[in-house]
Amino acid sequence: MKRLVSMTVNGEEIELAIPPYRTLLDVLRNEGRLTGTKKGCDVGDCGACTVIMDGSPVNSCLVLGIEAEGATIETIEGQHAGPDLPHLIQEKFMDHGGAQCGFCTPGIIMMTKALLKENPNPTESEVRFAIAGNICRCTGYAKIVDAVLAAAEDLRKGRTL
Amino acid sequence: MAFRIHRPETVDEASRLELDLDGDCAFIAGGTDLVVQMSRGQRAPAHLIDISRLPGMSAISEDGSVVEIGALVTHRELELGKGLPQGTDAIRDAARQVGGVQVRSIATLGGNIANASPAADLVPVLMVLDAELELRGPHGRCVPISDFIEGPRRTTRQPGELITAIRFRAPGNGSATSFFKAGRRKAMEIAVVNVAASVTLGADGACRSVRIALGSVAPKTLRAIGAEKALAGSPLSVAAIREAAQLAADCCAPITDIRASAEYRRLLVKSLVERALVRCSEQVEQSAMSGISASADNPADLLERSH
Repeated sequence: MKRLVSMTVNGEEIELAIPPYRTLLDVLRNEGRLTGTKKGCDVGDCGACTVIMDGSPVNSCLVLGIEAEGATIETIEGQHAGPDLPHLIQEKFMDHGGAQCGFCTPGIIMMTKALLKENPNPTESEVRFAIAGNICRCTGYAKIVDAVLAAAEDLRKGRTL
Repeated sequence: MAFRIHRPETVDEASRLELDLDGDCAFIAGGTDLVVQMSRGQRAPAHLIDISRLPGMSAISEDGSVVEIGALVTHRELELGKGLPQGTDAIRDAARQVGGVQVRSIATLGGNIANASPAADLVPVLMVLDAELELRGPHGRCVPISDFIEGPRRTTRQPGELITAIRFRAPGNGSATSFFKAGRRKAMEIAVVNVAASVTLGADGACRSVRIALGSVAPKTLRAIGAEKALAGSPLSVAAIREAAQLAADCCAPITDIRASAEYRRLLVKSLVERALVRCSEQVEQSAMSGISASADNPADLLERSH
């Protein structure tokens, strides 16, 4: 039996009919047609499905869609600096080669956004601690950390998230 | 995995629902364990009772000398430590070493306890704080956390009972707590061994009270009673700490499994108990000198040193 659930996704209020067992990740990807959020492990280990829910980064595979009733969700699709302009964090990931295969990238970008909102001036070890729940099998993380630190630097120069 | 979801508005309603549904149901709060178990097909309850929005269970408060943490407080909130009094560093240090930020943002303290994993990181901390749980249900009761957890995934929770709050006495002057965890990597790790300690030193430097708890080395988190007794009344000298750490290692009953051998776990207990006691002693000293609580080092660095 499906249930009607309403939530605000990337600023837009939507109402979806979803089966109660469907995770927020599957709701976003299937009913929401937003496939930028990736399904890696589906058990909360890899962080590829990270979205920001009511201001906090969460693994969307660990949240049931029905538990997101009334929540505000930000996904990678909502991140940009203007029409057709990449978001500051995306720009820095490109500049620094922070994405290789790209599968972990949407999750890491959402985690980075959550980190920088809370702490616009992180140290390298704070960045590494913050993205500990995001697994990347390509980069070895060095360039990801560089990209996050570069985004933080631009933030301090007055750019916005 | 079809199930019906129920959204009670009060604790009493949630409790009655579980009794009425008689068995085939589960409470869901953060869901970080339950959703995984359901995704893997290990559990398929016919009914889920959503307690994540029940009122009055999401605050950290202090009333006189008693600290109360609502069962729905998340690990992330504990990590940030807003509202936690001096001397409770172990809570913050344990909370920040659970999963990643994404898990800590939704995983609740009540869930960590109710799950009764022998490797739960907050359980040893709550044991050294001598915490008790408030259970509400058909017959409300308060129970020491050590009497609540019986073994792996087993508790004395009765049908219709919910953990609503965790309470402990605020550590006074001369008191400190610490937490250390060893795993095979620095983050996103289930403890191979975890250790918590609480110490109250008198003005003469002698231990007025000591509690040491060991996780992941027995079917449930253990108090190292022998080590505690050996330290009672004596100063935290290097020799006394070493002896206590050895006693703690002798009293545990670790198993060999895929993550570590029993022998290695015993060595870790000795090393982590030493560190936990040293950290407590340093903190008491620092807070006595500065009058403010000592800030902990980055636990990730400590873990690095432990390998």
